[in-house]
Amino acid sequence: MLDIRHLKKTYENTPVLKDISLHVNKGDVTAVIGPSGSGKTTLLRCVNFLTPADSGELTFGGRTYDLSRMSKKDIAAIRMNTGFVFQSFNLFANKTALQNVTEGLIIARHMPKDEANSIATQALERVGLKDRASHYPSQLSGGQQQRVAIARAVATNPQIIYFDEPTSALDPELIGEVLAVMKDLASSGMTMLVVTHEMRFARDVSSRVIFMEDGNIVEENDSRAFFEAPRQERTRRFLRTIDRSAI
Amino acid sequence: MTDRVWGILVDSFPKILLPGLRMTIPLTVIAFALAMVIATVVALIQFAHVKVLTPLARFYIWVIRGTPLLVQLFVVFYGLPNLGVYLDAFPAAVLVFSINEGAYCAETMRGALESVSVGQIEAGYCVGMSYTQIMWRIVLPQALRTAFPPLSNSLISMVKDTSLAANITVMEMFMATQRIVARTYEPLALYLEVALIYLLFSTAMTALQRWGEKKLTVGGALHA
Ligand SMILES: Nc1ncnc2c1ncn2[C@@H]1O[C@H](COP(=O)(O)OP(=O)(O)OP(=O)(O)O)[C@@H](O)[C@H]1O
Ligand SMILES: [Mg+2]
Repeated sequence: MLDIRHLKKTYENTPVLKDISLHVNKGDVTAVIGPSGSGKTTLLRCVNFLTPADSGELTFGGRTYDLSRMSKKDIAAIRMNTGFVFQSFNLFANKTALQNVTEGLIIARHMPKDEANSIATQALERVGLKDRASHYPSQLSGGQQQRVAIARAVATNPQIIYFDEPTSALDPELIGEVLAVMKDLASSGMTMLVVTHEMRFARDVSSRVIFMEDGNIVEENDSRAFFEAPRQERTRRFLRTIDRSAI
Repeated sequence: MTDRVWGILVDSFPKILLPGLRMTIPLTVIAFALAMVIATVVALIQFAHVKVLTPLARFYIWVIRGTPLLVQLFVVFYGLPNLGVYLDAFPAAVLVFSINEGAYCAETMRGALESVSVGQIEAGYCVGMSYTQIMWRIVLPQALRTAFPPLSNSLISMVKDTSLAANITVMEMFMATQRIVARTYEPLALYLEVALIYLLFSTAMTALQRWGEKKLTVGGALHA
């Protein structure tokens, strides 16, 4: 469903992604973990073209693209079928929760307003925020804002949703509500690529885990195997450094 | 105050107010509306880093902000005829005031555009919106809200600055007052009277600003 081959990205002479290849199957929930600065965010941004990759290939929706030569049209077409959830929510501040969700439907997809409103209401209901539909982002807690952001991504019916540390900007007591929504989404069969520091999510919800360090993928494994019988010595060392109680 | 002075003040009030309503206000409103268009376009050009046009925009702002308004008025009204360009006083004033104000407001608008978080633009792309759609529906509305107080400030300044148009024969409030002073020799009372009328205009605009800000505030917050 998503195939990335030999993705490379350099920022001002510093290689940040060094030949990344990875494959995501339909329905996979893949957790991307690794130390700060390892290139996790850059990977997601390159895959959705928020940051241009230097080279590599992407297969998505049955087509293969050369990442060094993407046309605006191809980028737009791919984005129509992907969702993105940011660490800092990035809700449209001048739009209500409902309008945040309908914007991509009415404006980008030219959906009739009634239909968009009903889909958006369903999406908000799914994240438990139907009663907050007419609130502006500034009137919502961080956890609620992130759930609206997830509803915004889900409503466009994407083939895959990318998450970049969706709970890292949240107060500890708000993390649970967002993780619960993501867990629900995962069990409904949504394909997800999730950069996270939440080891519990990586172990209990995701089906695959990718461990990145220094612009490389160190280990890619089933999540159970990753935590119980990691193949790489580097992975074992990493797992020892994280708080055992967090797993 | 003598009865004579009082009589002159009462007598001249409509004679000053009327040019105010017929010249000062239209000059301000038309020129400011045009200035807003110029400012928005010039700010968007810089915000989007449009090739060739961005340095032109910087050049425009540099020249206009670096030269006195009065000189600009004189160049257009008294200078351009040398090139065969003759403008009536009112259109010349509208032209100069809008170009002048546009340069200042462009900087206000640019700052306001830049205050909208990049993340919202990226989020717009991620839900499939185009750059134009994002600018039009997400960034510009928020920028206008942010820019509204400083732009209102500029508008209030402009009401007063239009008195400079008297220098190129626009028959606005200040010129009307000067004429009456020339006839009656009561400069103190009459210039205070015109000052009071400017103050009335500014006060009305400040009230409008308050109202507008309230209207533009959504969700009880300033969306900076
Ligand atoms: N815009 C940029 N310009 C230059 N260097 C950048 C830029 N963005 C990221 N980098 C560098 O690229 C490397 C990878 O950054 P990235 O944000 O992808 O890491 P990350 O794995 O997401 O880290 P974290 O866990 O802290 O979010 C870092 O060394 C970072 O300093
Ligand atoms: Mg990151």
